[in-house]
Amino acid sequence: MKRNVFYLLIGVIALAEVFLFWLSVEMQTPLLIQAAIIGGILVIYLARRLVREPVADERTELIAEKAALKTLEIFLVIFLAVSLGTVVIGFGRSLRFHPEPPFGPPPGPFPNDIPILGRFGMLQLALLCLMVILYVGFRMYYARKYGEWEKDEE
Amino acid sequence: MRNKIKVFRAMHNLTQEDLASKLGVTRQTILALEKEKYDPSLTLAFRIARYFGVTIEEVFLFE
Repeated sequence: MKRNVFYLLIGVIALAEVFLFWLSVEMQTPLLIQAAIIGGILVIYLARRLVREPVADERTELIAEKAALKTLEIFLVIFLAVSLGTVVIGFGRSLRFHPEPPFGPPPGPFPNDIPILGRFGMLQLALLCLMVILYVGFRMYYARKYGEWEKDEE
Repeated sequence: MRNKIKVFRAMHNLTQEDLASKLGVTRQTILALEKEKYDPSLTLAFRIARYFGVTIEEVFLFE
């Protein structure tokens, strides 16, 4: 398989994942998108082994390594701050920081918790998006630094 | 670090793509090396020198 075909395949899989995500939401079947994500990653991994030309070498690995490390450094701080905030919101009531009214509503049954789970999922997705944006930004910075887009004289 | 990869490549009448495939790296890495935007690992530096049949000091110059 040629390198460009491999990149094209990644694009097709990404589009298919978006469609499957939409389908998963429509059908209210979380297992569909979860299986699709794992399956998609597996297909990419297997396809990568079929590429004859080198897709990665020590320079690209260095770029990925540096970008990942910088992303992790920043994301650790963001994730810690957001997580601590979430913990305070989540346990604030049960730790009785705010006294509840004596005849307030009883703790909700499981179905009432589902929107909270959804919001938690959205928060995680937003954090993940932020992480991806940070990673792509750092990757572009280091790729430029290590001559990824240098003009060819040949 | 300076290098003479481009000179040696021209002497061997090789394109960047040819050299990249011989060394098992991407063409962009050869370009980055020639533009001195990237310093190779010791392993790659030795492989380059060995491929051209010269010593590492003849290809790379530490400044």
